[in-house]
Amino acid sequence: MKYKKILTDFFMLMAFTTTLSFVFNPNPYELVIATFANLSATILKLGEGRILSTEMTAASFVADVHLLPATFIYFWLGDVQESVSLAVGAVAANIVSIILAIIEAILASFYEED
Amino acid sequence: MKRFKKKPKVKFTKKKTEKSLLELYERKFIEQFKLLTFPLFMLHVAIFVGTLGYMIISDVYTGTANFIDAFYMTIITIGTIGFGEIAPATDTPLGRIFTSFLALSGIGIFTTSVTVVIRTIVSGNIIELYKIVIMLKDIQNLKDHVIICGYNKTSAWLARTLKERKLDFVVIDDTSSALEYIHKHNIRYFISEDPIKRSTLESSNIRKAKVLIANLEDDARNIALIVTARLIVPSKEELAIYTFASTDGTAEKMEELGANKALVSNKILATRLASYIFHTGSGYIADLLDKIAFGEVSDVDILEYKIEESSPLVGKKLKDIDLRRIYRISVIAIRRKDGYIDINITGDTQIDQGDTLIIFGSTKNLRNLEKIYKEVVK
Repeated sequence: MKYKKILTDFFMLMAFTTTLSFVFNPNPYELVIATFANLSATILKLGEGRILSTEMTAASFVADVHLLPATFIYFWLGDVQESVSLAVGAVAANIVSIILAIIEAILASFYEED
Repeated sequence: MKRFKKKPKVKFTKKKTEKSLLELYERKFIEQFKLLTFPLFMLHVAIFVGTLGYMIISDVYTGTANFIDAFYMTIITIGTIGFGEIAPATDTPLGRIFTSFLALSGIGIFTTSVTVVIRTIVSGNIIELYKIVIMLKDIQNLKDHVIICGYNKTSAWLARTLKERKLDFVVIDDTSSALEYIHKHNIRYFISEDPIKRSTLESSNIRKAKVLIANLEDDARNIALIVTARLIVPSKEELAIYTFASTDGTAEKMEELGANKALVSNKILATRLASYIFHTGSGYIADLLDKIAFGEVSDVDILEYKIEESSPLVGKKLKDIDLRRIYRISVIAIRRKDGYIDINITGDTQIDQGDTLIIFGSTKNLRNLEKIYKEVVK
């Protein structure tokens, strides 16, 4: 069992679910947790040599670039609507990330280990 | 009843192809970032726990959860800056208990993480690997370059001459002593891998190279290198391979295996010494011709120009093309198709198909001629 993969996949799903819950119920804690989970997923993907790791890291960066401004807009400018719309963008990036992870898992199961 | 044949189970297998050096070094470069994962993650967790904790404390006491204050308080606590209890409600008993625990765990995580990250970037291989990746990419853009396999004193002299002639070359040697000299001699393109490996030769862009020098100081290794290179580029016209042999017999075998010319170094030295003995009366001329032939004089050169079937020079007389007046260069001899060297040439000497003109002149003028005639023949 690959523990790092479990941790990476956990934070990837966590990033998606918390961002989605923030979209439906804008709450400061949800936003902070979503940002933390997204950044964690990105850090854990760094240096990964998996089949689609480049694409997954790129998708993760996209989610971060949406969520970090969303956090500052929410807490500094107080514009909840704008931060929610940015979070929707992060959700889209997370969906892409998850789809890529599923494709990668399928591809990995087809390839025989040497 | 129709019988169905059981279909064999389809299995996907990874193609066992040898990865190029560029891919391997790119992978190594990316994998260096793996070392940053754990310290960055720990630091990230510490910042998150601190920020969330201060947000909750602030929310409990003041009714508002301010992220920016909480984040700032966390950073100044774990960063050992300690401006005091700045964020709202951090001066309460709960706030102080939380700050104490955050400082105890966070400061250790912060200092360790920052140290590991800086050490990995500064003293690690990240910068070195990045430079190698960029260099390997540049090598892929080279054309008509020279590949020097093995970097000893002979190769160092050769590299110096090629540098003077502004010719691109790639040095391949995996020994640590050679690597030291490669850095010392400021060699631009080098590959620190075994030259006999196919992937190494492919990474030196052998398919677009003009010449390969096999100088591995060992006949067996030179033979292995020649064979590997010829497996990639079989044509002697496309890639010329020059090598060194210890005996005449070995040199013959190397030429049969694919080398354009195998030189017996002791024999060459003896021949050159003999030329001084035989030309004592005209030492200067012998030396000059020798130097030109060996490429030691960079502003004067001798060029061999083969007359192809499509060449516009076929059937013309030397006085018709007037190379001396137009390009300031002289035809000093013509090697005929049958190998005979005609040195008694005049303006009325005719150029035939298959002849090779031996032209003497300044390097710059010879290059001009080469360029113009190449375009005409095209």
